Amino acid sequence: MSSGTEAPSRRQSHQSGGSAPSLRIKSLAALLVNQIAAGEVVERPASIVKELLDNALDAGAMRIVIEIEAGGVDLLRVTDDGVGIAPEDLALALAPHATSKIFESADLDHIGTFGFRGEALASIASVSRLSIRSRPRDEESAYTIEAAGEVLSEQRPESGPIGTCVTVRDLFFNTPARRKFLRTSQTEQGHCLETARTLAMAHSHVGFTVRIDGRERLNLPAGQSPKQRVVAILGEELAPRLIEVHADEFDDARGLALWGLAGLPELARPTLKGQHVFVNGRPIRDRTIQHAIQEAYRGLIEPSRKPTAVLMLEMAPAAVDVNVHPAKAEVRFRDSGLVHSVVHRALREALLRADLTPKWPGQDRGGFREFGSDRSPGPAGQLGSGSGGSVSAAAFADSFKQAVGGPDARIDYDALRSAMGQHVPEPSQEVGPIPVARPADRVLQVHKSYLVTQDEQGVVIVDQHALHERVMFEQIMQRLQSGVFESQRLLTPAVVSAPAQRVERLADLTPLFEKLGVEAAPLGPDTIAVHAFPTFLFDKGVDPSEFLSDLLEQAETDGFPSSSEEALHEIVDMMACKAAVKAGDRLTEQELAELVSMRSRYERASNCPHGRPTSIRLSIRDLERQFGRT
Amino acid sequence: MKVICDRAALLDAVNLMASIAPARSPKPQLSCVHLCATKDGDAGRLTLTATDAEVSLRLTTLNVDVNKPGEALVNAQKLQQIVAAEDAEATLTIEVDGDQIEVRGADAKFRVFGFPPAEFPPAPEFLDADDPRAGKIFTVQAASLETLVGRTLFATARETSRYAINGVLLSLKGKKLELVATDGRRLALARGHAEASADTEIACIIPSKAMQMASKLIDDPDENIRVAITDNQVIFGFNADAGEPRAVLASALVEGAFPPYEDVIPTDQDKRAVFDAAALRSGVRRAALLTNEESRGVRMNFTNNDGNSLRVSSRAPEMGEAEIDVNVDSYDGDAIEIGFNPTFLIDALKVVDEPQVVIEMKAPNKPGLIKAGADFVYVVMPVSLQ
Repeated sequence: MSSGTEAPSRRQSHQSGGSAPSLRIKSLAALLVNQIAAGEVVERPASIVKELLDNALDAGAMRIVIEIEAGGVDLLRVTDDGVGIAPEDLALALAPHATSKIFESADLDHIGTFGFRGEALASIASVSRLSIRSRPRDEESAYTIEAAGEVLSEQRPESGPIGTCVTVRDLFFNTPARRKFLRTSQTEQGHCLETARTLAMAHSHVGFTVRIDGRERLNLPAGQSPKQRVVAILGEELAPRLIEVHADEFDDARGLALWGLAGLPELARPTLKGQHVFVNGRPIRDRTIQHAIQEAYRGLIEPSRKPTAVLMLEMAPAAVDVNVHPAKAEVRFRDSGLVHSVVHRALREALLRADLTPKWPGQDRGGFREFGSDRSPGPAGQLGSGSGGSVSAAAFADSFKQAVGGPDARIDYDALRSAMGQHVPEPSQEVGPIPVARPADRVLQVHKSYLVTQDEQGVVIVDQHALHERVMFEQIMQRLQSGVFESQRLLTPAVVSAPAQRVERLADLTPLFEKLGVEAAPLGPDTIAVHAFPTFLFDKGVDPSEFLSDLLEQAETDGFPSSSEEALHEIVDMMACKAAVKAGDRLTEQELAELVSMRSRYERASNCPHGRPTSIRLSIRDLERQFGRT
Repeated sequence: MKVICDRAALLDAVNLMASIAPARSPKPQLSCVHLCATKDGDAGRLTLTATDAEVSLRLTTLNVDVNKPGEALVNAQKLQQIVAAEDAEATLTIEVDGDQIEVRGADAKFRVFGFPPAEFPPAPEFLDADDPRAGKIFTVQAASLETLVGRTLFATARETSRYAINGVLLSLKGKKLELVATDGRRLALARGHAEASADTEIACIIPSKAMQMASKLIDDPDENIRVAITDNQVIFGFNADAGEPRAVLASALVEGAFPPYEDVIPTDQDKRAVFDAAALRSGVRRAALLTNEESRGVRMNFTNNDGNSLRVSSRAPEMGEAEIDVNVDSYDGDAIEIGFNPTFLIDALKVVDEPQVVIEMKAPNKPGLIKAGADFVYVVMPVSLQ
């Protein structure tokens, strides 16, 4: 374990200004300085867990045990088997801005450790009763040092295993105000557990155990593959619905390697809770990456929902500035454009390759719970290396482990790169089911709305309108690239009445209309005349006045995006929707076959342009389970 | 009621009945055909009536032997199926017992449950011309009406929210009868003659379905059809000269305003090409082979420098292209390149009997005008060319 020294931070000197009642400026007492620092670092018990885990990981621990009592207020203990702190350094470890992690300011440009400020232990010690027991490998016994507020004890020898054990008791005993802000112990321990789970996700080679009030709440063995670890934390039942994502973009110092698991669109949630992003093993929040994720799922999920994804980025320490946020929850990329494009492309490619047909019934859609919650790994996502995991997965896991595994070789980019390069698993073997290859022999139309057919894995049910809408959308977009749409002039203009504010929107849309073969102009303050309309929409029986009237209404209610790209998207969307077959349209056998075959021909055919699924699958496995055959 | 019917005549009648009566209706009585057998001395007659609430049809067949007059109400489709299936029979006997209808052939007996005849809505009335409720009346020769309908009905709109153009406009001024139909992209106008009192003026919109049925009911091109227009109905009486008409078709009129068609027909066209109708039809039809959803239109190049010619060409992306040269009998005006939906052109050229047609144009974004003789005018809007 380690700790450190740094010039007083900008923030501290800034705050010290206003606290003297005499308005005379004077230096603050060391304890107060540390308590102020603690205000940033130690917000709640979970922040202590985070700091202590960072230290343990920096110490190269292979096993970490976290104990929490009474929400972490009575007791928080983190025990690791890392390199330990030399007895003579113990007292220094508790001094502010004392650290083993950096030496000079140039080091800040390429921070390879999780901690580096050297303020964690000092800050924690200033608001709790802290004891550290540590035994480096070459020492015969451990030494302990205790601190309570300002009082530092003498270090004394004690028996103990190799590694470091930090015990924090009576958190905020000397700052009652802070203590008042803590939530119930249930909530606080939940945050602590969440922190441990998140960090554990990024360090699959390290074993994690969390005990809360004596009960074991998390036990992750050391030496798991990244995938095993993520699945173990997110839940085995999600495994079949996660797609492996990887990218490897190395080019001198602009290196960036990405590995992750992306959830199928059906796993999207209303909040960002399902997203875990790590940069060099550090959990972060980053708007650029969030945006890249959202963009990659565009058209696959409803825009208000957030995809589930676990992404691990590895890059040279020089390419990322982690020294921008006290809790290090945010980072700054030297080249955020590169990060965005790598994340976006990798996710998009993985999604395009994968079979996105949701399983029926959706496990998180309520109902059918017991039947849907498949505890055993699904047909596609074999996980455990011992339980039939594919060879390439296991090999990949091993090499990844080697690359990031050893305490001394934590960031071996070359090894990581070659590991990723050599063992990129074929996604179709590894995760995604094989896409529909042969055309289904027969298609049944049910209630003139749904098509039922089969593929290799079972029964596929298609929403005829949603699928056709998606297909039309792609066709229209494709066709737009080859030029302006053919348009048919009208004998007498089709007249649309619309409120004046909608009529005004028309001017914004006119440039796009020209491309699309729509010619419309205001006729009066609250009427519009359509003079020409695309021939293909006429062919599909779309009425010009109805189309214009609906479009303007949507432009008003949704406040059409200002960028013409997005507005175009919206207009084409409406064209596709209007031109597509509707629920209730009877289709001939030929039309049915044609529509179903389009499923495999178009990108993103699994979802309609609004993000709703176009088809769901009832696998043979599900059927067997329903009929009690397994 | 007991009647012995000639099966072939009965089948013709029930086929028409089954095409009017809705197959499914919340009120099963409305899916029925009403049968009424009457006897006047030795002359028996069977009258069949069906309705779909908008259109109703009454047919009278004389090829029956009425043993016992009476009425019956029976599912139209079922009766049609039975009569069609008894194809080995020359005659069929229909006998009614209460609400049950028995249809008998030589070796078959069908007993079908019907409904009390009184539950059927009243049949359309065919009033004498001097009855004040008869409305405005004119008479048209069957052949003439058939031609007028054939030249316009195809241009009506299908399933548009502008209900007025789902029908055919009938306009009569004195003896001048016009039918007009449009779907907003082309307009067909056919002219003919009718017999009416000189001051008769009529303008009403008749639903496509009724217009089509009227054309279908024509049996003899020389017979006269009497048409009565009331406030909300049109009533066609077929073979009206012989007193009681053979068939009476009544239909609700379409409400709403028909587009001002006279304003739409351009009068200032400055380019005029005269064609052999068959040659033009063939040229357009062949060029249409290489159009698709993406590129619906055919390009028409009219030139007058190296002899009069028309080149019709088409190009369907990822499919191919076609070029057809069509001989032009005469061309006046500057060269022009204009695009049309070939289907619209062919639709019109199909209904033209005249050997020659004329196309008049002004500009690529202005309407084209097709004329055949004095009695057919067709306006077609161009498509943009890429």
